[in-house]
Amino acid sequence: MKHVARADRRAQREANVRTALILLSIAAVFFGGFILAQHWGGSTAGIGVLGLAIIGFLLVAILRNVRR
Amino acid sequence: MSSIPHDHAAGHDVDHEHAHHPGGIMRWITTTNHKDIGTLYLWFSFIMFLTGGVMALAIRAELFEPGLQLVEPEFFNQLNTVHGLIMIFGAIMPAAVGFANWQVPLMIGAPDMAFARMNNWSFWLLPFAAVLLLSSFLVPGGAASAGWTLYAPLSVQTGMGMDLTIFAIHIMGASSIMGSINIITTILNMRAPGMTMMKMPLFVWTWLITAYLLIAVMPVLAGAVTMLLTDRHFGTSFFNAAGGGDPVLYQHIFWFFGHPEVYIMILPSFGIVSTIIPAFARKPLFGYASMVYATGSIAILSFLVWAHHMFTVGMPVAGQVFFMYATMLIAVPTAVKVFNWVATMWRGSMTLETPMLFAIGFIFMFTVGGFTGLVLSLVPVDIVLHDTYYVVAHFHYVLVAGSLFAFFGGIYFWLPKWCGRMYDETLGKWHFWMTFVFFNITFFPMHFLGLAGMPRRVPDYATQFTDWNEVASIGAFGFGLSQLIFLYAVLKAIRSGPPAPARPWEGADTLEWTLPSPAPYHTFETPPHIQ
Repeated sequence: MKHVARADRRAQREANVRTALILLSIAAVFFGGFILAQHWGGSTAGIGVLGLAIIGFLLVAILRNVRR
Repeated sequence: MSSIPHDHAAGHDVDHEHAHHPGGIMRWITTTNHKDIGTLYLWFSFIMFLTGGVMALAIRAELFEPGLQLVEPEFFNQLNTVHGLIMIFGAIMPAAVGFANWQVPLMIGAPDMAFARMNNWSFWLLPFAAVLLLSSFLVPGGAASAGWTLYAPLSVQTGMGMDLTIFAIHIMGASSIMGSINIITTILNMRAPGMTMMKMPLFVWTWLITAYLLIAVMPVLAGAVTMLLTDRHFGTSFFNAAGGGDPVLYQHIFWFFGHPEVYIMILPSFGIVSTIIPAFARKPLFGYASMVYATGSIAILSFLVWAHHMFTVGMPVAGQVFFMYATMLIAVPTAVKVFNWVATMWRGSMTLETPMLFAIGFIFMFTVGGFTGLVLSLVPVDIVLHDTYYVVAHFHYVLVAGSLFAFFGGIYFWLPKWCGRMYDETLGKWHFWMTFVFFNITFFPMHFLGLAGMPRRVPDYATQFTDWNEVASIGAFGFGLSQLIFLYAVLKAIRSGPPAPARPWEGADTLEWTLPSPAPYHTFETPPHIQ
């Protein structure tokens, strides 16, 4: 019984870390994307980076749920 | 909720109470308990509220009469700037995170936040950021003085205080992002069995959406101030027209953060009010699903309206028209919320305890702030009223009468659960009425001043503005003193209030009320089952 609880806790922990990493990567793309886009290519590139990031994360989120 | 067996819901072993954590100051420094960290956030935000409030009183004292009386214009600008930054990043946002820390795990039946150590770190970054921000008054050139928006090119040119402000914003931003990751992960992964998304209390929903907003826009602000920093010290020209840059670009980036930030500050308040009103109307919340969708709609629309803050920079008419109509569109989901709160009260068995008074005060005055926002969304009107006291009145109605009233209501509502003691109802009502009356004496005349053309952020003014400025200054000191009643009421409750029952509010039916008061140090270690 204790073994099962420990496995549950580990699974929960892994799920939490996965969620956190996805969220952190969103924040990183927004932070770095804005600066790099302005540095290299102005507002068009900025919108491009953001748009691709948003579409990319939407695709990942949808595909993960479709797989389940 | 009363169908949940009490001991099972608590999931709490009395022998473990206070068994595994240090006492004294080390308890607060090393704590990973969501309740302790929530308490830390709330006290920190109150201290910052008083600090920013003292700055506001200095501003109002200077504006009591025309001419320069008390402070130099440079220092006046610094007070204006730091007052805004302290209130937004030091008071309102940490208070909202404090509520989330206390309530989200209790409301979804989770034992703690998903990342307890990161939660501790998220909080303890804040005092250092606050010290950095406040110590900028002591460096050569003084604190940042470009307004809380830190507009370029002024912010590129000013002294070392700006650098400290930029670093403080970086630290506070990191704290907010860590807090948001923690809250989203907790809500998505740690809900009790049976607690589906559409069974979550509305406070949890509003915080989930707020946390997503924070993750999307705090990095944008961090990017903007990083670009400011590189313009100041590393030879880049993002915002420097002489080097090929564009100062208006800063305004676009800032307001891409700044407008969602308004909703970051108000959505948790919507959640608190949506929890209080059903409890005191003794009816379920009217239109729960529509409230969830309205919150999501507000969040999405908040990304599409940023340029209504900058109608005067000279954008194309098509752009002005788009941002004007997009701004007006936000009134629709907001009105859905106001309608649902009123409909919840309609024919309810209402009683008017202090939390309910603050909730009703919130609805009334937030609606006033919303209406003046609609006035400002009209391009021709905004061009006339831009940077006048009308704008100051508008956003104080939204953020003080909005966020702050909801937070006061939330504290009175949950205080019995947090400390196990009831507050003094008479003191609470005095606090509400004094705050309500003095708030309106302070900020309502600012509409008249703005309509008459008085510019904001200027320490002197033409003599025809004197009367209403005197009224506003008297109101501001009354408002400030009223908050001492709140402090006394809370301290009195904690020290000597009568013991609170597990469920002091008859109509409260969320999960935290199944726990004894005060809530045990460890809760829901065995998850409750939600029917």
